[in-house]
Amino acid sequence: MTVQTVPSKHAEPPEVVRRRKLGKPLSNGTFGFLLTLPAVVMFGAIVLYPLAGSLSTSLFKQSLVIPGRSFAGLDNFKHVLENEFWPVLENTLVFTGLGTIAPFVIGFALALALNTQMKGRAVLRGMFLFPWVIPGVVVSFAWLWIFNANYGLLNGLLVRLGLIDAPVSWLGEPGTAMMAVIVAKTWASFPWIMVMLLAGLQTVPSVLHEAAAMDGAGTIRRFWHVTLPHLRGIIGVVILLELIWNFQHFDTIYVLTGGGPAGATTTFAVAVYETAFKGFDLGQAGALGALWMLLLSVLVVFYVRMAER
Amino acid sequence: MMKRLTVAVIGIFAFGPVYWLLVTAFTPDEDVFQFPPKLWPTRFTLEHFANLADNPALMNYLVNSIIVSTLTALLTVLVSSYTAYSFSKFRYRGRKSLMYLILASQMFPQGLLLITLYLVFSAAGMLNSYLALVLSFTTFTLPLCVWMLKGFFDTIPDELIEAAKVDGAGQGSIIHRILLPVALPGLIATGLFAFIRGWNDFIFALTLAGPDKQTLPPGLVNTYLGEFQAAWPDLMAASLAVSLPVVIGFAVLQRYLVAGLTSGAVKG
Repeated sequence: MTVQTVPSKHAEPPEVVRRRKLGKPLSNGTFGFLLTLPAVVMFGAIVLYPLAGSLSTSLFKQSLVIPGRSFAGLDNFKHVLENEFWPVLENTLVFTGLGTIAPFVIGFALALALNTQMKGRAVLRGMFLFPWVIPGVVVSFAWLWIFNANYGLLNGLLVRLGLIDAPVSWLGEPGTAMMAVIVAKTWASFPWIMVMLLAGLQTVPSVLHEAAAMDGAGTIRRFWHVTLPHLRGIIGVVILLELIWNFQHFDTIYVLTGGGPAGATTTFAVAVYETAFKGFDLGQAGALGALWMLLLSVLVVFYVRMAER
Repeated sequence: MMKRLTVAVIGIFAFGPVYWLLVTAFTPDEDVFQFPPKLWPTRFTLEHFANLADNPALMNYLVNSIIVSTLTALLTVLVSSYTAYSFSKFRYRGRKSLMYLILASQMFPQGLLLITLYLVFSAAGMLNSYLALVLSFTTFTLPLCVWMLKGFFDTIPDELIEAAKVDGAGQGSIIHRILLPVALPGLIATGLFAFIRGWNDFIFALTLAGPDKQTLPPGLVNTYLGEFQAAWPDLMAASLAVSLPVVIGFAVLQRYLVAGLTSGAVKG
């Protein structure tokens, strides 16, 4: 191979590449593209083809266990829109909304509190990550046990404090099950938000705070006029990513309640899984999934717009 | 003062459940199953951990988790280092689109993809195989790992590669003799991260693997949650045991963690 210059960040214009004669050994660009082939093939096989395939099942009457399918037009959409779609949407919105706001408030408060010259701050930050790094099913096991109706810690504490007379079945009542699921998810989510916001806080120049303080601005005014404007970008990213993830979240809900009681915690992720793998109805699962994907893409578009800015 | 109070209150929320997990895992059954529960343990036992070791089904899940996570780590390092090298040091048409496609792929709901993946793996006779799990885990770990490694390769000066070419090195030896050794810390971080993702996954292992190939997360759910009266202390002991490798892994990863997290490519 002759000496070639490796394209640096300031790439040679594409025309130069295109003018190379055919029959030569692989040009640099072609070789570069070939390097991505394993990844591209895997994405095609594991993400893109399944995405297209699953969306297309929404137009067919198709079972998981019986081979073959027949075209059904929009019947599946009609059926899910007249049945589970609306309650599932409501559950998903409640879970996504509260499951984003609660950990955001906690994570932000903790980030502000840890953004000082406190002794052992790095160690504390690392320890606070524990709920976020452990497997999702372990999060569910821990809270399943805490919310347990007969021997659970929560009932024990509340009875001792005299706040309730008899143990409550937190996960067994539609009214409390969703709150319980959101508490568990909040516990697992806030550490990541804390780390992100703490990283952002550390980029706020201390000169700004000092100048504002000299002008007589108190803690709260400095927070509103110095800290918040500086963090606007990172807050937007954190909230949007949390919304996107919660909108798809499966593990915590499925292990804690399985979507129950009486469907009170059935979100899109749980509903699509149950319809496909417990009900074996791929057509309806596909229709529900297509609507899910459509709503999700609104959030993703917002995110991409923000990332580009 | 306010700051200390905030840390204390959130600390109780964050570590209370961890404390309770630990207490339950090391307390004898008679003390656990009473109401209201004792907040401070008075007796100590290792019987629940012994129960785990005595359960052959759990040991099988453990072996599966180790095999699947290790293979995921190796495949991820291999595929993501080639891809990251390409994104970092080459310029060609469609490069940007490819980069965004790979980043965006984690935005698609996995439950929806699983419908077709199940049918595809079933038709290929790959249901209930390690390969189906490894391929799936690797694909969903790639976005972050490619981004992380690209960051590493970006810091390697182009002159180093040019000098090697002048010395007559081919692309193969440039990758394997120069880039990969320089990026070794990045490769280790990438592998560790992929291992953890495979270790923690629930929905793919639940759907694509039967009992004999299932990993620990769905395995534990099947073992303990189907019963009328779950063996809570055993389950808490198992939870601690499953979390241990992840906690150690993240302690090692701490250095790369914040950079990786803030790139926004980690799925929570």
